[in-house]
Amino acid sequence: MDLGLQGKKAIVVGGARGIGYAVAEVLAREGCDVALSARGEDSVKDAVAALSRYGTRVVGKPVNVKRADDYKAWLDWAIEALEGVDVLIPLSSASGGIGSEKYWYNAFETDVMGPVRAIEAVIPTMTEQQRGAIVLVSTTSALEAMGGPQAYNAMKASLITYGKQLALAHGKDGIRVNVVSPGPVEFEGGNWDMIKGTMEKFYQSQLRQQPMGRLGRPEEIARAIVFLASDAASWCNGSHLVVDGGFTNRTHF
Amino acid sequence: MWDTARMDVKRVVDVIRVDPARPGGRTPVEKAPDPELGTAVIPAERYYSEEFMKLEWERVWTKVWLLGGRADDIPEPGDYICTEIGKESVLIVRQADGSLRCFPNVCLHRGNRLRPEGIGKATEFRCMYHHWTYGLDGRIERLPDLCTFPQGGPPGMTLRSLPCTEWNSFVWFSLNPEVEPFDDYIAPLKDHLEPYHPERMAWKRDVTVEWDCNWKASVDAFNETYHVQGIHPQLLWYLDDVNVQIDCYERHNRYLIPFATISPRVAMPSTIPPAIDEIMRNAGMDPADYEGRVGDIRRDVQRFKREHGPAQGKDYSALNDDQLTDDYHYMIFPNVALNVHADDILMFRQRPHATDPNKMLYDVWVFELVPEGEPWPERVKHRRFKHGDRSIGQVLDQDAHNLPTVQLGMQSDSFPGLWIGEQELRIRHFHKVLDDYIYGPGGKGPDDI
Repeated sequence: MDLGLQGKKAIVVGGARGIGYAVAEVLAREGCDVALSARGEDSVKDAVAALSRYGTRVVGKPVNVKRADDYKAWLDWAIEALEGVDVLIPLSSASGGIGSEKYWYNAFETDVMGPVRAIEAVIPTMTEQQRGAIVLVSTTSALEAMGGPQAYNAMKASLITYGKQLALAHGKDGIRVNVVSPGPVEFEGGNWDMIKGTMEKFYQSQLRQQPMGRLGRPEEIARAIVFLASDAASWCNGSHLVVDGGFTNRTHF
Repeated sequence: MWDTARMDVKRVVDVIRVDPARPGGRTPVEKAPDPELGTAVIPAERYYSEEFMKLEWERVWTKVWLLGGRADDIPEPGDYICTEIGKESVLIVRQADGSLRCFPNVCLHRGNRLRPEGIGKATEFRCMYHHWTYGLDGRIERLPDLCTFPQGGPPGMTLRSLPCTEWNSFVWFSLNPEVEPFDDYIAPLKDHLEPYHPERMAWKRDVTVEWDCNWKASVDAFNETYHVQGIHPQLLWYLDDVNVQIDCYERHNRYLIPFATISPRVAMPSTIPPAIDEIMRNAGMDPADYEGRVGDIRRDVQRFKREHGPAQGKDYSALNDDQLTDDYHYMIFPNVALNVHADDILMFRQRPHATDPNKMLYDVWVFELVPEGEPWPERVKHRRFKHGDRSIGQVLDQDAHNLPTVQLGMQSDSFPGLWIGEQELRIRHFHKVLDDYIYGPGGKGPDDI
C-alpha cells in the first residue's frame, strides 16, 4: 500500500523524543520533508542529525510551546522552511501532575493551546492548497481512569471533541482531521521507563492489565498516526483511533 | 577516579560542584588523595570467626571512642542514657554542674545491671537486688548493712569512671580509660560536620533492628554506591551513583553523592521524577511551576534554598551550595554511618552482637531540622524489632534484604573473601583501619584474616 507521503511537507511539534520522534522518523522514511520542535536545543540538534539519514529535508529549532509569540513565530518559520505544509502533528505535552493548580495551566497551554495555535497557523496554507492532514494525539487516559483525577487527562480529552469539530468545519477544503489515543507507551527516557524503575509494582500491575503482556512502543503509535496523516487514509476524517494493544476495557461501539 | 564513560552508563555527566578553593561553607570539599590499598581479597573469615570477634573486642571496641546517644536527650541533672556495646552496658549521666559522667552499668555488689537500656531520669541509681545505691557521680551513697562486710565497701566506694564527652549534639564514651583525646580521634571531621548544626534538628526516628549478619557486613553495605544499580533501581531517578567523590582520612572516610539529579545509568527523563518532585516541594518550590530541564533541578534547588531558606527559618549559612541538595556520607570509625543533609541527618550505629558474630544491632537515628520559630516536636519513642518483622522504609529494606544471605555465603568454603572494586574504596579503607587496630599499624601478616 502506498501511503503517498513522498515529497509531502510535515510539521511535528514535539518531535525530538518518544512518540513524536518516532512520528518524525516514519514520515522521513516515507519521503516527507520534516520540521520538528522540542524545548531543548541539543535534543533538536540530535533529532535532526539522526533523521537526516533518510535523505529528505529535515529542519528543527527549539521552542517553548507555552510562549505564544515564540511559538507562533516558530510555526511561521517551519512553514516557510518547508515551503508549505501538508501534514501537521502537534504532540508536545506538559505531561501529568496532581496537587498544584499550575498543572491545569501547563496542560492547557501545552496540550491544548499547542495544537490549537498550530492548527490556526497551518489552516490558511492548507485551505489555499485545498489539501492537508492533521492528526491530534490524545490518550487512553482521556477514556478511562488512569493516574488519578488530573489536568492532563481532562485537557487531552478536549482534543477528541475539538478534532471532530475541526473535521466537520474543514472537510470542505480537503483538510482531514483525526485523533489518535495511544495507551501506555514505553521508551528509554519516557515516563513508563521511569515508572518501571521507580514504581515497579505499579508497572507490573499495568503489564498484567495489558492483553498482550507489554506496553506499546513509540513506532507502533507513530505508524497509526502517519497512516491517518497519509493519502492512504483519504476517507478517514473526524475519526478517533485508539491504539493501545487492547488495553482499554470499554467497547468502542 | 574511575572512568565513568566506560562504566555501564547511558550518558556521561559532568557534575557541577562547588569550587574546592572557595566552597562557601566550612566543610572542606577538596578530594583527598586516594590511599594505596592494593587489590587483595578481604578475608571472609573475619565476618564469622569467633576468634576474630574476640580480637575486635579486645583491640577495637574496648579501645576507641563510641557513639553513646543524643545530648539533648539528657539536658537536666540526673538525665541519663543507658546504652550497650557488645557485652558491656554503660550509663552516661548529666551531672549537677552540667557536665557528663560515664560508668559501667553494673552494680559492684553482685553484678546486676543498674538500669535497662534506654533514656531516663534519676536522682540516684539503686540496684534492684540489694538496694546498693549510687549517686549521679557514681559514688556509693548507701550500702545496706555495710558493717556486715568485714572487707569494707568496694575500692573508693565508687563505680569506675569511663571517658565521655559531648560533641556536635551527641555524647561519646569509651571503654578505654587510656583513650586518646576525643578531638584527636574525631579529626578531621569537626570542620566537616559542625556546619550542619545537628542541635537544630529533632528526633524523627529511633529504631533498633536485630540483623542476621556481622556488624561489618552492615558497615560495608553503606560504604559504597556500587549497589544502587543492583538493589535501589528507584534511586537512579534521584541521585548520581556514578559521579561520587570518595575521601579517605586517617581512620574515617566519606563520599559525596549528588542528589536531586538523574543517574547516568538511565536516560534523562523529560518529566520530573516523583522523588525529585518531593525534594522541590520540601524546599518550597512548586514543581508544576518549574520551567527548567530535569538536569538543571539540582542547581536550581540549591539556588532556591539559598535564597528562601532564611525566610523559612532555615539557616544554611554554614553550608556550601552542594550541601543544600547532596548527600555527604560519613563513616566514623568503627561503626557510625551518617548521611548528612541540610535539612536532616540519617545515621546508623552498627553494633556487634554480644556473643554471636553472625548477628548485630542496627540503630537507625533520624533527625530533622526544626525551622526557627516552630515548636520543638516531642521525642519519638524508641522501637526495637527483628530483621524483616517490620519495614524500615523502602531503601533500608532493600539494603537489609541481602545481608542475611551475604552472611551465609561468607561462611562457604568456596568463598575466600570480598572481591572489591574501586567504587568500594571506602570498604577497603575501613578494613585497613580495622587491620591496624587488630594487628598494629601495618602489622597484618599474609596469614592473618
